[in-house]
Amino acid sequence: MIEVTIQLLGFIAAAALVVIGIAGMLFLDNLIKKIISFTLLSDGVNLLLVALGYVEGGVVPILIPGMSVSEFATRAALVFPVGIVLTNIVIGVSTTAILVALAIMLYRRYGTLKASKVLKGERR
Amino acid sequence: MSAYPSNLWSIPLLVVIPILVAVVVNLVYNRVRLIKVISILSAVCLALIALFSSYGYHWFTGLPALRPETLTFTFDPSFPAWRLALEFYFGPLQQVMIFVMSLILIFVVAVASGGLTKRQGPYMGMIFLLFASAVIIIMVNDLYHLWIAVEIGSLVVAGVVVGSGTSVSHKAALKYTFFSALSGAGLAIALALILGLTGYSNISDAIRYLQSVNLGDMSIILYVAFAFFVLSWIYAGGLAPIHPLKSEVYGASFPHGTAMLQTQSKLMLVAIGIVMLRIFGTLPFVREVMLAISVITMMLGVVMALIQTDFRWILAYLIISHSGLVTVGISLGTTEGLVGGIFQAVNDVIYMTVLLLCCEALYYFGGKTSTRNSLGLAKKAPWLGMAVILGTMAASGIPPFNGFQSELILIQAALKVGLPEVAAVILMVSVTTFIALFRAVYRLFLKPPETSETVTEVKVPRALYIGLWFFVAMTLIIGVYPTIVVSFITPVAQAVSIPWYL
Repeated sequence: MIEVTIQLLGFIAAAALVVIGIAGMLFLDNLIKKIISFTLLSDGVNLLLVALGYVEGGVVPILIPGMSVSEFATRAALVFPVGIVLTNIVIGVSTTAILVALAIMLYRRYGTLKASKVLKGERR
Repeated sequence: MSAYPSNLWSIPLLVVIPILVAVVVNLVYNRVRLIKVISILSAVCLALIALFSSYGYHWFTGLPALRPETLTFTFDPSFPAWRLALEFYFGPLQQVMIFVMSLILIFVVAVASGGLTKRQGPYMGMIFLLFASAVIIIMVNDLYHLWIAVEIGSLVVAGVVVGSGTSVSHKAALKYTFFSALSGAGLAIALALILGLTGYSNISDAIRYLQSVNLGDMSIILYVAFAFFVLSWIYAGGLAPIHPLKSEVYGASFPHGTAMLQTQSKLMLVAIGIVMLRIFGTLPFVREVMLAISVITMMLGVVMALIQTDFRWILAYLIISHSGLVTVGISLGTTEGLVGGIFQAVNDVIYMTVLLLCCEALYYFGGKTSTRNSLGLAKKAPWLGMAVILGTMAASGIPPFNGFQSELILIQAALKVGLPEVAAVILMVSVTTFIALFRAVYRLFLKPPETSETVTEVKVPRALYIGLWFFVAMTLIIGVYPTIVVSFITPVAQAVSIPWYL
């Protein structure tokens, strides 16, 4: 029997977000909905990384005054995934900004946000 | 205890300078002459740093490893230690790749400032950021920087494509950015899986850990990480099955932009390919998967090039096909294969730059690149005609040009591991490249015009001709003296290679 832990729930939620995000990006026709799906995918990856760094009964990886180094070493959550998540948030925002800018440019040209029409070059 | 070793200062300069230039040229976005001076000087500076920098490491975090026997610190990646090492490494392979890329950068910025783009500052900034992202990927020895640089690179590719300002380029950029989101997320997951499995983000440390423990059932995680790595590898080089996306990116950009894009793409293929080989190379079926993708890419690319009727698109598909040539060598994983693959990447970016600069010159003769037109340009511009024929010969692997040397090494490597069918495909690509290119060259440059419509001509920038002949000379010099490049590649290939096991 697999024990249900917070970490396992985190992994399951992350996988669900990634799958929903990829499905949305591939199968939705509206460009804005595709972009929102991308943000879901990005959030799924972030959650996976956070869950990876989770330590049962752990503390934030900051050495608080009064805490011994050995206690910190055994209880602190992994610090590296947190750094990756911060970077991924920045990258996600940049990618979203570029996607939205391109969607605006194409909307101005074709008058529609339907990917099927935009990519075929049909005006509304 | 010896003194704390200092980081090599020149290594971060190769990344910091292009980023600073990108910021500065954005600030002075409408002062064309100033942008030109800053860009060319910076590109020359980067080439000099790549040429004269000593070999070594640059560390960003953590401490270097401590040798217990001598109590001295070391940057040696082969030395086991627990370290947070986010590090860059600059060695002979990095030197040759970055130097060639900075030479291409010099002529690309000189040609780009010739006036085809309206927004010089942001466009030039994108070119420099493209260079920076490729340099990081070439030098990196940790998964964290690798992932960030791939992400930055993909966003910048979209920027360079958009710079040509057509609706085709906007669509190509949108599609490419969507796929970059997928592959970037995939690479982040691969990073997370390897980090979770080994506890290390440093590639050398992670490999040492994987070699020292028996993963048992957990090796499935390594295969999942490999699958995500393959996704990003395919994406970086436009390998099959996403070759239509990447060829669209190449075809929708200005030819000088494509020269820089294909350089970044091929060198990324080498760097990521070597990382994959180091981490996953000993797992069963890994190299077969990589080899299959490479062979399919070679064949699809060259067949698609044959049916194109536009010189730009012929080049776009040939770039894809020749990316497969590069990855075939890497996928074999043997010393000869690696030497051939890396040498092919270096040669490929040089002769493709020749052909792309010839394509750029067509813009100054009325902008017709369709092979349905007979322009007879060789009579009007004989130097251009001669350069495009020499470029075609180099790309087709005809001696004494550089393409011949690397393709010969690749064929020998394939035969040596008992894969004559791969050698036959490499030969087929070579012959078909000649047919696809020479058909276009004959129509555009050699065949007399069928109509009385005159070819309009504006002044072709001198930088374009200088660049063109500089790279033609390079194809010939490397073709005659291949050891100039091979001597830099061989030690790395020997260190990374894994015997073929069939």
